[in-house]
Amino acid sequence: MRALKIAATGMSAQQMRVETISQNLANMNTTGYNARRAEFSDLHYQQMARPGTINAADGTVLPTGVQLGLGVRPSSVTVQLAQGSLSQTNGDLDIAIEGKGYFEVALPSGQSAYSRDGTLKRSADGLIVTSEGFALVPNITIPDDARSISINAEGEVYAYFNDRIEPELLGQLTLAGFSNSKGLEAIGSNMFLESPASGPAIVSIPGTDGLGTLRQGYLEDSSVDAVREVTELIEAQRGYELNAKVITAADQMLSATSNIR
Amino acid sequence: MDSAGYTVLTRLSGLKNELQAIANNVANASTTGFRKEGLIFSEYISALEPGEPSLSMANGDVRHTSDAQGPLTPTGGTFDLAIEGDGFFLIETPQGEALTRAGAFTPNDQGELTTHDGYRLLDNGGAAIFIPPDAKSVAVAADGTMSADGLPLAQIGLYLPTDPNSLNRQDGVRFYTEGGVEPYEGAAILQGYVENSNVNPITEITRMIEVQHAYTMGQKFSEQEDERIRGVISTLGR
Repeated sequence: MRALKIAATGMSAQQMRVETISQNLANMNTTGYNARRAEFSDLHYQQMARPGTINAADGTVLPTGVQLGLGVRPSSVTVQLAQGSLSQTNGDLDIAIEGKGYFEVALPSGQSAYSRDGTLKRSADGLIVTSEGFALVPNITIPDDARSISINAEGEVYAYFNDRIEPELLGQLTLAGFSNSKGLEAIGSNMFLESPASGPAIVSIPGTDGLGTLRQGYLEDSSVDAVREVTELIEAQRGYELNAKVITAADQMLSATSNIR
Repeated sequence: MDSAGYTVLTRLSGLKNELQAIANNVANASTTGFRKEGLIFSEYISALEPGEPSLSMANGDVRHTSDAQGPLTPTGGTFDLAIEGDGFFLIETPQGEALTRAGAFTPNDQGELTTHDGYRLLDNGGAAIFIPPDAKSVAVAADGTMSADGLPLAQIGLYLPTDPNSLNRQDGVRFYTEGGVEPYEGAAILQGYVENSNVNPITEITRMIEVQHAYTMGQKFSEQEDERIRGVISTLGR
Protein backbone atom coordinates (compact mmCIF):
# COMPACT_ATOMS: atom_id res chain seq x y z
CA MET A 1 0.00 0.00 0.00
CA ARG A 2 2.14 2.88 -1.24
CA ALA A 3 -0.92 5.11 -0.96
CA LEU A 4 -0.21 5.33 2.78
CA LYS A 5 3.25 6.80 2.26
CA ILE A 6 2.09 9.03 -0.59
CA ALA A 7 -0.66 10.55 1.55
CA ALA A 8 1.90 11.03 4.32
CA THR A 9 4.06 13.14 1.97
CA GLY A 10 0.93 15.17 1.24
CA MET A 11 0.30 15.73 4.93
CA SER A 12 3.84 16.84 5.64
CA ALA A 13 3.79 19.21 2.65
CA GLN A 14 0.58 20.83 3.89
CA GLN A 15 2.09 21.02 7.35
CA MET A 16 5.03 22.97 5.94
CA ARG A 17 2.58 25.28 4.21
CA VAL A 18 0.86 25.96 7.54
CA GLU A 19 4.26 26.68 9.11
CA THR A 20 5.04 29.20 6.36
CA ILE A 21 1.66 30.86 6.84
CA SER A 22 2.09 31.10 10.61
CA GLN A 23 5.55 32.62 10.09
CA ASN A 24 3.96 35.24 7.80
CA LEU A 25 1.17 36.01 10.25
CA ALA A 26 3.63 36.24 13.14
CA ASN A 27 5.52 38.88 11.15
CA MET A 28 2.48 40.94 10.17
CA ASN A 29 3.94 44.02 11.83
CA THR A 30 7.63 43.44 11.17
CA THR A 31 9.15 46.40 9.34
CA GLY A 32 10.38 45.46 5.88
CA TYR A 33 9.24 41.81 6.15
CA ASN A 34 8.34 40.10 2.89
CA ALA A 35 5.70 37.37 2.88
CA ARG A 36 6.89 33.89 1.91
CA ARG A 37 5.06 31.18 0.00
CA ALA A 38 5.62 27.44 0.11
CA GLU A 39 5.93 25.83 -3.33
CA PHE A 40 5.47 22.13 -4.02
CA SER A 41 6.55 19.77 -6.70
CA ASP A 42 5.67 16.14 -7.46
CA LEU A 43 8.01 13.29 -6.64
CA HIS A 44 9.51 10.59 -8.77
CA TYR A 45 7.25 8.50 -11.00
CA GLN A 46 7.41 4.76 -10.90
CA GLN A 47 7.46 3.17 -14.32
CA MET A 48 5.05 0.23 -14.18
CA ALA A 49 5.31 -0.17 -17.94
CA ARG A 50 7.41 2.13 -20.06
CA PRO A 51 5.69 4.00 -22.88
CA GLY A 52 6.68 2.39 -26.16
CA THR A 53 6.95 -1.06 -24.62
CA ILE A 54 5.95 -3.76 -27.04
CA ASN A 55 3.00 -5.73 -25.81
CA ALA A 56 4.31 -9.28 -25.88
CA ALA A 57 1.02 -10.94 -26.73
CA ASP A 58 0.37 -9.38 -30.13
CA GLY A 59 3.25 -6.97 -30.83
CA THR A 60 1.34 -3.70 -30.41
CA VAL A 61 3.22 -0.79 -28.88
CA LEU A 62 1.84 0.65 -25.63
CA PRO A 63 1.10 4.30 -26.47
CA THR A 64 1.36 5.69 -22.96
CA GLY A 65 2.63 3.07 -20.57
CA VAL A 66 1.87 3.27 -16.88
CA GLN A 67 3.50 5.65 -14.46
CA LEU A 68 2.42 6.03 -10.88
CA GLY A 69 3.51 9.06 -8.88
CA LEU A 70 5.02 8.72 -5.44
CA GLY A 71 3.78 11.89 -3.77
CA VAL A 72 4.82 15.46 -3.24
CA ARG A 73 7.79 17.37 -1.85
CA PRO A 74 8.24 21.00 -0.84
CA SER A 75 10.37 22.51 -3.61
CA SER A 76 10.96 25.95 -2.17
CA VAL A 77 9.77 28.60 0.19
CA THR A 78 9.92 31.73 -1.93
CA VAL A 79 10.07 35.27 -0.70
CA GLN A 80 7.33 37.31 -2.39
CA LEU A 81 9.14 40.50 -3.30
CA ALA A 82 6.21 42.88 -3.17
CA GLN A 83 6.74 46.44 -1.98
CA GLY A 84 5.04 46.88 1.39
CA SER A 85 3.06 50.04 1.98
CA LEU A 86 4.87 52.98 3.58
CA SER A 87 3.71 54.38 6.89
CA GLN A 88 4.73 57.83 8.04
CA THR A 89 6.65 58.03 11.31
CA ASN A 90 8.37 61.42 10.86
CA GLY A 91 11.49 59.97 12.48
CA ASP A 92 14.68 61.60 11.18
CA LEU A 93 16.36 58.22 10.85
CA ASP A 94 13.35 56.20 9.68
CA ILE A 95 14.05 55.50 6.02
CA ALA A 96 11.94 53.44 3.66
CA ILE A 97 13.23 52.08 0.35
CA GLU A 98 10.87 52.55 -2.57
CA GLY A 99 12.18 49.99 -5.02
CA LYS A 100 14.09 46.75 -4.84
CA GLY A 101 17.37 47.73 -3.13
CA TYR A 102 18.77 46.78 0.29
CA PHE A 103 20.79 48.67 2.89
CA GLU A 104 24.23 47.19 3.46
CA VAL A 105 25.03 46.43 7.11
CA ALA A 106 28.47 45.58 8.55
CA LEU A 107 28.30 42.50 10.79
CA PRO A 108 30.88 42.10 13.61
CA SER A 109 32.30 39.12 11.68
CA GLY A 110 33.38 41.48 8.91
CA GLN A 111 30.71 40.12 6.52
CA SER A 112 28.08 42.32 4.97
CA ALA A 113 24.40 41.67 5.58
CA TYR A 114 21.56 43.28 3.66
CA SER A 115 18.32 44.61 5.06
CA ARG A 116 15.24 46.59 4.04
CA ASP A 117 14.50 47.54 7.64
CA GLY A 118 15.08 51.29 7.76
CA THR A 119 14.53 51.87 11.49
CA LEU A 120 17.99 53.41 11.86
CA LYS A 121 19.45 54.83 15.05
CA ARG A 122 22.43 56.91 16.15
CA SER A 123 24.97 55.02 18.25
CA ALA A 124 26.92 56.41 21.22
CA ASP A 125 29.82 57.32 18.91
CA GLY A 126 27.47 59.06 16.47
CA LEU A 127 27.45 56.33 13.80
CA ILE A 128 24.24 55.55 11.90
CA VAL A 129 23.36 51.97 12.97
CA THR A 130 20.45 49.53 12.61
CA SER A 131 18.12 48.67 15.52
CA GLU A 132 20.46 45.76 16.26
CA GLY A 133 23.38 48.17 16.59
CA PHE A 134 25.24 47.18 13.40
CA ALA A 135 26.81 50.05 11.45
CA LEU A 136 25.47 50.94 8.02
CA VAL A 137 27.89 50.74 5.07
CA PRO A 138 29.24 53.27 4.12
CA ASN A 139 29.72 54.54 7.69
CA ILE A 140 28.17 57.93 8.33
CA THR A 141 28.87 59.81 11.56
CA ILE A 142 26.41 62.38 12.88
CA PRO A 143 28.10 65.17 14.84
CA ASP A 144 26.90 65.64 18.44
CA ASP A 145 25.78 69.20 17.84
CA ALA A 146 23.62 68.47 14.77
CA ARG A 147 20.11 69.88 15.18
CA SER A 148 18.44 67.70 12.60
CA ILE A 149 19.26 65.30 9.82
CA SER A 150 17.86 65.43 6.32
CA ILE A 151 18.18 62.57 3.85
CA ASN A 152 17.06 63.07 0.27
CA ALA A 153 15.75 60.51 -2.21
CA GLU A 154 19.25 59.95 -3.66
CA GLY A 155 20.64 59.09 -0.22
CA GLU A 156 22.65 62.26 0.51
CA VAL A 157 22.72 62.83 4.27
CA TYR A 158 22.79 66.47 5.46
CA ALA A 159 23.09 67.81 9.01
CA TYR A 160 21.67 71.14 10.15
CA PHE A 161 23.30 73.07 12.99
CA ASN A 162 22.01 75.78 15.26
CA ASP A 163 24.94 78.14 14.60
CA ARG A 164 25.00 77.84 10.78
CA ILE A 165 22.52 78.34 8.00
CA GLU A 166 24.16 76.06 5.44
CA PRO A 167 23.65 72.31 5.99
CA GLU A 168 26.72 70.10 5.98
CA LEU A 169 26.92 67.03 3.72
CA LEU A 170 27.80 64.13 6.04
CA GLY A 171 27.88 61.36 3.46
CA GLN A 172 26.07 59.33 0.85
CA LEU A 173 23.91 56.27 1.61
CA THR A 174 24.11 53.51 -0.99
CA LEU A 175 21.82 50.62 -1.84
CA ALA A 176 22.69 47.09 -2.92
CA GLY A 177 20.78 45.11 -5.54
CA PHE A 178 20.96 41.48 -6.63
CA SER A 179 20.19 39.55 -9.83
CA ASN A 180 18.08 37.22 -7.75
CA SER A 181 16.90 38.85 -4.52
CA LYS A 182 14.84 35.72 -3.77
CA GLY A 183 18.11 33.79 -3.47
CA LEU A 184 19.37 35.80 -0.48
CA GLU A 185 19.92 33.81 2.68
CA ALA A 186 17.78 35.02 5.59
CA ILE A 187 19.59 35.15 8.94
CA GLY A 188 16.84 36.69 11.06
CA SER A 189 16.64 40.21 12.49
CA ASN A 190 15.39 41.35 9.06
CA MET A 191 18.83 40.66 7.59
CA PHE A 192 20.02 38.61 4.62
CA LEU A 193 23.39 37.36 3.43
CA GLU A 194 24.64 37.15 -0.12
CA SER A 195 24.49 33.54 -1.42
CA PRO A 196 25.62 31.66 -4.54
CA ALA A 197 22.02 31.87 -5.71
CA SER A 198 21.56 35.60 -5.28
CA GLY A 199 24.60 36.67 -7.29
CA PRO A 200 26.99 39.38 -6.09
CA ALA A 201 25.72 42.66 -4.65
CA ILE A 202 25.56 45.55 -7.11
CA VAL A 203 26.13 48.64 -4.96
CA SER A 204 25.03 51.98 -6.29
CA ILE A 205 23.46 55.33 -5.46
CA PRO A 206 19.68 55.27 -4.75
CA GLY A 207 17.70 56.16 -7.85
CA THR A 208 20.15 54.53 -10.27
CA ASP A 209 20.33 50.96 -11.66
CA GLY A 210 16.68 50.35 -10.79
CA LEU A 211 17.48 50.17 -7.08
CA GLY A 212 14.78 52.53 -5.89
CA THR A 213 14.87 55.72 -3.90
CA LEU A 214 14.81 56.58 -0.18
CA ARG A 215 11.99 58.23 1.77
CA GLN A 216 12.97 59.85 5.03
CA GLY A 217 10.34 59.80 7.80
CA TYR A 218 8.63 56.65 6.48
CA LEU A 219 8.96 52.94 7.20
CA GLU A 220 8.04 50.04 4.93
CA ASP A 221 5.33 47.87 6.46
CA SER A 222 5.34 44.11 6.29
CA SER A 223 3.95 42.95 2.92
CA VAL A 224 1.85 40.23 4.58
CA ASP A 225 -1.77 40.29 3.47
CA ALA A 226 -3.76 38.83 6.37
CA VAL A 227 -6.84 37.99 4.30
CA ARG A 228 -4.79 36.04 1.81
CA GLU A 229 -2.84 34.19 4.49
CA VAL A 230 -6.02 33.13 6.27
CA THR A 231 -7.53 31.90 2.98
CA GLU A 232 -4.37 29.89 2.36
CA LEU A 233 -4.56 28.57 5.91
CA ILE A 234 -8.06 27.22 5.27
CA GLU A 235 -6.87 25.57 2.06
CA ALA A 236 -3.85 24.04 3.76
CA GLN A 237 -5.93 22.70 6.64
CA ARG A 238 -8.44 21.11 4.26
CA GLY A 239 -5.63 19.66 2.18
CA TYR A 240 -4.20 18.12 5.32
CA GLU A 241 -7.57 16.56 6.18
CA LEU A 242 -8.05 15.17 2.66
CA ASN A 243 -4.66 13.47 2.83
CA ALA A 244 -5.59 12.06 6.22
CA LYS A 245 -8.78 10.64 4.63
CA VAL A 246 -6.70 8.89 1.99
CA ILE A 247 -4.59 7.36 4.76
CA THR A 248 -7.76 6.07 6.44
CA ALA A 249 -9.00 4.55 3.17
CA ALA A 250 -5.66 2.92 2.44
CA ASP A 251 -5.62 1.57 5.97
CA GLN A 252 -9.09 0.03 5.56
CA MET A 253 -8.09 -1.54 2.25
CA LEU A 254 -5.04 -3.01 3.94
CA SER A 255 -7.17 -4.45 6.70
CA ALA A 256 -9.49 -5.91 4.02
CA THR A 257 -6.44 -7.54 2.46
CA SER A 258 -5.44 -9.11 5.74
CA ASN A 259 -9.03 -10.30 6.24
CA ILE A 260 -9.15 -12.23 2.97
CA ARG A 261 -8.24 -15.26 4.97
CA MET B 1 -9.01 -25.24 -13.54
CA ASP B 2 -10.19 -22.63 -11.10
CA SER B 3 -9.62 -19.07 -12.29
CA ALA B 4 -12.05 -16.88 -10.34
CA GLY B 5 -9.40 -16.18 -7.73
CA TYR B 6 -6.98 -14.92 -10.36
CA THR B 7 -9.54 -12.64 -11.96
CA VAL B 8 -10.40 -11.01 -8.67
CA LEU B 9 -6.70 -10.72 -7.89
CA THR B 10 -6.08 -8.63 -11.04
CA ARG B 11 -8.98 -6.43 -9.99
CA LEU B 12 -7.58 -5.94 -6.49
CA SER B 13 -4.11 -5.08 -7.74
CA GLY B 14 -5.59 -2.62 -10.26
CA LEU B 15 -7.61 -0.98 -7.48
CA LYS B 16 -4.49 -0.75 -5.34
CA ASN B 17 -2.76 1.09 -8.21
CA GLU B 18 -5.75 3.36 -8.59
CA LEU B 19 -5.70 4.24 -4.91
CA GLN B 20 -2.02 5.08 -5.36
CA ALA B 21 -2.91 7.42 -8.23
CA ILE B 22 -5.64 9.05 -6.10
CA ALA B 23 -3.23 9.45 -3.18
CA ASN B 24 -0.71 11.11 -5.50
CA ASN B 25 -3.37 13.47 -6.85
CA VAL B 26 -4.55 14.46 -3.37
CA ALA B 27 -0.97 14.87 -2.15
CA ASN B 28 -0.35 17.20 -5.10
CA ALA B 29 -3.59 19.17 -4.72
CA SER B 30 -1.50 22.27 -3.91
CA THR B 31 1.32 21.69 -6.39
CA THR B 32 1.60 24.51 -8.92
CA GLY B 33 1.06 23.29 -12.47
CA PHE B 34 0.29 19.69 -11.46
CA ARG B 35 -1.95 17.69 -13.80
CA LYS B 36 -4.18 14.97 -12.42
CA GLU B 37 -3.21 11.42 -13.32
CA GLY B 38 -5.73 8.66 -13.79
CA LEU B 39 -5.85 4.96 -14.54
CA ILE B 40 -8.18 3.26 -16.95
CA PHE B 41 -9.03 -0.40 -16.54
CA SER B 42 -8.81 -2.56 -19.63
CA GLU B 43 -9.86 -6.13 -20.18
CA TYR B 44 -7.11 -8.68 -20.39
CA ILE B 45 -8.07 -11.96 -22.03
CA SER B 46 -6.15 -15.10 -21.35
CA ALA B 47 -6.52 -18.41 -23.12
CA LEU B 48 -7.35 -21.44 -21.00
CA GLU B 49 -7.27 -25.14 -21.76
CA PRO B 50 -8.36 -26.11 -25.28
CA GLY B 51 -12.12 -26.41 -25.46
CA GLU B 52 -12.68 -24.12 -22.46
CA PRO B 53 -13.89 -20.53 -22.62
CA SER B 54 -11.25 -17.84 -22.30
CA LEU B 55 -10.64 -16.01 -19.05
CA SER B 56 -11.23 -12.27 -18.83
CA MET B 57 -9.23 -10.27 -16.32
CA ALA B 58 -9.01 -6.56 -15.45
CA ASN B 59 -5.83 -4.66 -15.97
CA GLY B 60 -5.55 -1.18 -14.47
CA ASP B 61 -2.83 -0.04 -16.75
CA VAL B 62 -3.62 2.70 -19.20
CA ARG B 63 -2.33 6.02 -17.98
CA HIS B 64 -4.32 9.16 -18.42
CA THR B 65 -3.20 12.73 -17.75
CA SER B 66 -5.95 15.31 -17.42
CA ASP B 67 -5.33 18.46 -19.44
CA ALA B 68 -8.11 20.47 -17.82
CA GLN B 69 -7.24 24.05 -16.97
CA GLY B 70 -6.29 24.48 -13.31
CA PRO B 71 -7.59 27.49 -11.38
CA LEU B 72 -5.37 30.60 -11.54
CA THR B 73 -4.19 32.19 -8.31
CA PRO B 74 -3.01 35.79 -8.26
CA THR B 75 0.42 36.08 -6.61
CA GLY B 76 1.50 39.45 -7.97
CA GLY B 77 5.00 38.07 -8.63
CA THR B 78 6.80 39.58 -11.63
CA PHE B 79 8.02 36.20 -12.83
CA ASP B 80 4.96 34.15 -11.86
CA LEU B 81 3.40 33.16 -15.18
CA ALA B 82 0.29 31.11 -15.83
CA ILE B 83 -0.86 29.66 -19.14
CA GLU B 84 -4.52 30.09 -19.95
CA GLY B 85 -5.30 27.51 -22.59
CA ASP B 86 -3.24 24.62 -23.93
CA GLY B 87 0.51 24.55 -24.28
CA PHE B 88 3.53 24.23 -22.00
CA PHE B 89 6.63 26.22 -21.10
CA LEU B 90 9.82 24.68 -22.45
CA ILE B 91 12.67 24.27 -19.97
CA GLU B 92 16.22 23.00 -20.37
CA THR B 93 17.16 20.06 -18.14
CA PRO B 94 20.14 17.69 -18.05
CA GLN B 95 17.86 14.96 -19.53
CA GLY B 96 16.95 17.18 -22.48
CA GLU B 97 14.19 19.66 -23.03
CA ALA B 98 11.12 19.27 -20.80
CA LEU B 99 7.62 20.70 -20.77
CA THR B 100 5.99 22.18 -17.68
CA ARG B 101 2.94 24.21 -16.66
CA ALA B 102 4.49 25.28 -13.34
CA GLY B 103 5.20 28.92 -14.11
CA ALA B 104 6.79 30.24 -10.91
CA PHE B 105 10.14 31.37 -12.28
CA THR B 106 12.95 33.42 -10.78
CA PRO B 107 16.17 34.90 -12.17
CA ASN B 108 19.28 33.00 -11.05
CA ASP B 109 22.62 34.56 -10.06
CA GLN B 110 23.45 34.99 -13.76
CA GLY B 111 20.18 36.84 -14.36
CA GLU B 112 18.71 33.97 -16.41
CA LEU B 113 15.08 33.04 -15.77
CA THR B 114 14.88 29.56 -14.16
CA THR B 115 12.40 27.25 -12.43
CA HIS B 116 12.65 26.54 -8.70
CA ASP B 117 14.79 23.52 -9.52
CA GLY B 118 17.22 25.79 -11.36
CA TYR B 119 16.37 24.78 -14.97
CA ARG B 120 16.43 27.56 -17.57
CA LEU B 121 13.21 28.70 -19.20
CA LEU B 122 13.55 28.86 -23.00
CA ASP B 123 12.13 31.49 -25.35
CA ASN B 124 10.43 30.83 -28.68
CA GLY B 125 13.86 30.45 -30.29
CA GLY B 126 15.00 27.86 -27.73
CA ALA B 127 17.43 30.24 -25.96
CA ALA B 128 17.65 31.17 -22.26
CA ILE B 129 16.01 34.45 -21.18
CA PHE B 130 18.28 37.03 -19.56
CA ILE B 131 16.81 39.64 -17.19
CA PRO B 132 19.08 42.70 -16.86
CA PRO B 133 19.84 43.25 -13.13
CA ASP B 134 19.16 46.97 -13.42
CA ALA B 135 15.64 46.49 -14.85
CA LYS B 136 13.16 48.47 -12.76
CA SER B 137 10.11 46.61 -13.96
CA VAL B 138 9.55 43.63 -16.22
CA ALA B 139 6.26 43.17 -18.04
CA VAL B 140 4.99 40.08 -19.84
CA ALA B 141 2.31 40.45 -22.49
CA ALA B 142 -0.34 37.82 -23.21
CA ASP B 143 1.64 36.56 -26.23
CA GLY B 144 4.71 35.99 -24.03
CA THR B 145 6.65 39.09 -25.08
CA MET B 146 8.82 40.22 -22.16
CA SER B 147 9.92 43.79 -21.86
CA ALA B 148 12.11 45.53 -19.27
CA ASP B 149 11.31 49.22 -18.74
CA GLY B 150 9.66 49.30 -22.17
CA LEU B 151 12.50 47.63 -24.07
CA PRO B 152 11.76 44.16 -25.49
CA LEU B 153 13.79 41.32 -23.93
CA ALA B 154 12.51 38.07 -25.42
CA GLN B 155 9.36 36.20 -26.25
CA ILE B 156 8.51 33.23 -24.06
CA GLY B 157 7.55 30.31 -26.25
CA LEU B 158 4.67 27.94 -25.66
CA TYR B 159 4.96 24.43 -27.02
CA LEU B 160 2.86 21.32 -27.51
CA PRO B 161 4.16 17.76 -27.83
CA THR B 162 3.94 16.53 -31.41
CA ASP B 163 2.50 13.27 -30.11
CA PRO B 164 0.20 14.03 -27.14
CA ASN B 165 0.31 10.39 -26.05
CA SER B 166 4.08 10.43 -25.64
CA LEU B 167 4.04 12.69 -22.58
CA ASN B 168 6.09 11.06 -19.89
CA ARG B 169 5.81 12.37 -16.33
CA GLN B 170 8.88 13.30 -14.32
CA ASP B 171 9.27 14.61 -10.80
CA GLY B 172 9.32 18.40 -10.53
CA VAL B 173 6.01 18.78 -12.45
CA ARG B 174 7.86 18.12 -15.71
CA PHE B 175 6.90 16.15 -18.78
CA TYR B 176 9.27 14.65 -21.33
CA THR B 177 8.27 13.69 -24.80
CA GLU B 178 10.14 11.49 -27.25
CA GLY B 179 8.30 12.77 -30.29
CA GLY B 180 9.61 16.34 -30.20
CA VAL B 181 7.69 19.57 -29.62
CA GLU B 182 6.16 22.18 -31.83
CA PRO B 183 5.46 25.87 -31.08
CA TYR B 184 1.89 26.73 -30.13
CA GLU B 185 0.33 30.17 -30.23
CA GLY B 186 -3.25 29.60 -29.16
CA ALA B 187 -2.93 30.39 -25.45
CA ALA B 188 -2.44 33.47 -23.31
CA ILE B 189 0.32 33.96 -20.74
CA LEU B 190 -0.76 35.84 -17.62
CA GLN B 191 1.80 37.65 -15.50
CA GLY B 192 1.36 37.69 -11.72
CA TYR B 193 -0.62 34.45 -11.61
CA VAL B 194 0.26 30.80 -11.16
CA GLU B 195 -1.84 27.86 -12.27
CA ASN B 196 -2.87 25.62 -9.40
CA SER B 197 -3.05 21.88 -9.59
CA ASN B 198 -6.07 20.80 -11.67
CA VAL B 199 -6.95 18.08 -9.14
CA ASN B 200 -10.55 18.31 -7.96
CA PRO B 201 -10.56 17.03 -4.35
CA ILE B 202 -14.27 16.18 -4.49
CA THR B 203 -13.99 13.79 -7.44
CA GLU B 204 -10.82 12.29 -5.97
CA ILE B 205 -12.40 11.55 -2.59
CA THR B 206 -15.58 10.23 -4.24
CA ARG B 207 -13.54 7.92 -6.44
CA MET B 208 -11.51 6.90 -3.40
CA ILE B 209 -14.67 5.77 -1.60
CA GLU B 210 -15.71 3.77 -4.69
CA VAL B 211 -12.27 2.17 -4.92
CA GLN B 212 -12.36 1.31 -1.24
CA HIS B 213 -15.77 -0.39 -1.54
CA ALA B 214 -14.83 -2.22 -4.73
CA TYR B 215 -11.75 -3.50 -2.94
CA THR B 216 -13.79 -4.74 0.02
CA MET B 217 -16.17 -6.46 -2.42
CA GLY B 218 -13.23 -8.20 -4.05
CA GLN B 219 -12.02 -9.29 -0.66
CA LYS B 220 -15.47 -10.71 0.21
CA PHE B 221 -15.53 -12.53 -3.12
CA SER B 222 -12.15 -14.10 -2.36
CA GLU B 223 -13.40 -15.25 1.03
CA GLN B 224 -16.47 -16.86 -0.50
CA GLU B 225 -14.34 -18.57 -3.12
CA ASP B 226 -12.18 -19.88 -0.33
CA GLU B 227 -15.22 -21.25 1.50
CA ARG B 228 -16.60 -22.75 -1.70
CA ILE B 229 -13.38 -24.61 -2.43
CA ARG B 230 -13.12 -25.76 1.18
CA GLY B 231 -16.70 -27.01 0.94
CA VAL B 232 -15.88 -28.93 -2.25
CA ILE B 233 -12.81 -30.50 -0.66
CA SER B 234 -14.61 -31.50 2.53
CA THR B 235 -17.57 -32.92 0.53
CA LEU B 236 -15.31 -34.93 -1.76
CA GLY B 237 -13.12 -36.03 1.09
CA ARG B 238 -15.96 -37.65 3.03
